[in-house]
Amino acid sequence: MNGWILAATVELAGGGAAALWGVTTGPTGRRVIAQNLATSALCPALLLLSQGYGRPSYVDLALLLALLGPVGTLVFARLLAAELERERPSAWALTWAAAGLGAVVVAAVCAATAPGRATVKLLVVGALLIGGNVIASRALSGGFQGVRGG
Amino acid sequence: MSDAVIVVALLLVAACATAAVAQRDPARQALVLSVLGLFLAVLFTVLQAPDVGLSQLAVGSALTPLLIMLSVRRTRRRGRTKEGPE
Repeated sequence: MNGWILAATVELAGGGAAALWGVTTGPTGRRVIAQNLATSALCPALLLLSQGYGRPSYVDLALLLALLGPVGTLVFARLLAAELERERPSAWALTWAAAGLGAVVVAAVCAATAPGRATVKLLVVGALLIGGNVIASRALSGGFQGVRGG
Repeated sequence: MSDAVIVVALLLVAACATAAVAQRDPARQALVLSVLGLFLAVLFTVLQAPDVGLSQLAVGSALTPLLIMLSVRRTRRRGRTKEGPE
């Protein structure tokens, strides 16, 4: 067991348990936020696992998750709009903490891989993860009011 | 010792699946189900089956919640219009 897999285990246990607790308890707004943060907690864990197993092709999973996770959250933001309108859920401290975690993990894995196409792929994953997370959080807290009609 | 990550992923999947069954409201069930999809994808990755994990991610994170939420919305709307004019 190397350090990468140990870090992935710690992150999986901590982030996964927190997301599970948030998504099963409390009002609907909090649950949607926890669902959004589950994406940004598990995507760095997948990156760490890919580095730990020494298989760069596992990065594809993190890429797909960074792409589709915010899409899933936007689905909920759109279809639960009536309930979220009342609550306006937002947790910006948690959002930026998760974004910082993603940035740290991407930087660490980038430093460990040889520069080249793999580095570019990792940077794309990081950008998609942080950008999608921030956009989904903004949509949940009612930041796109003009778009929501219909 | 390297089995620790497999144990953690299995525990998370078991706890999340139980929680998904225990929810009462279908919309909240869909939320827990999408998180369960993520945990399952991580479990498949840890068990060295990333191709299965890829398809699980593609289906479980966006498609299944979309289908469930659309059908929940349609059933609610149909129930409302049936009760409304009568």
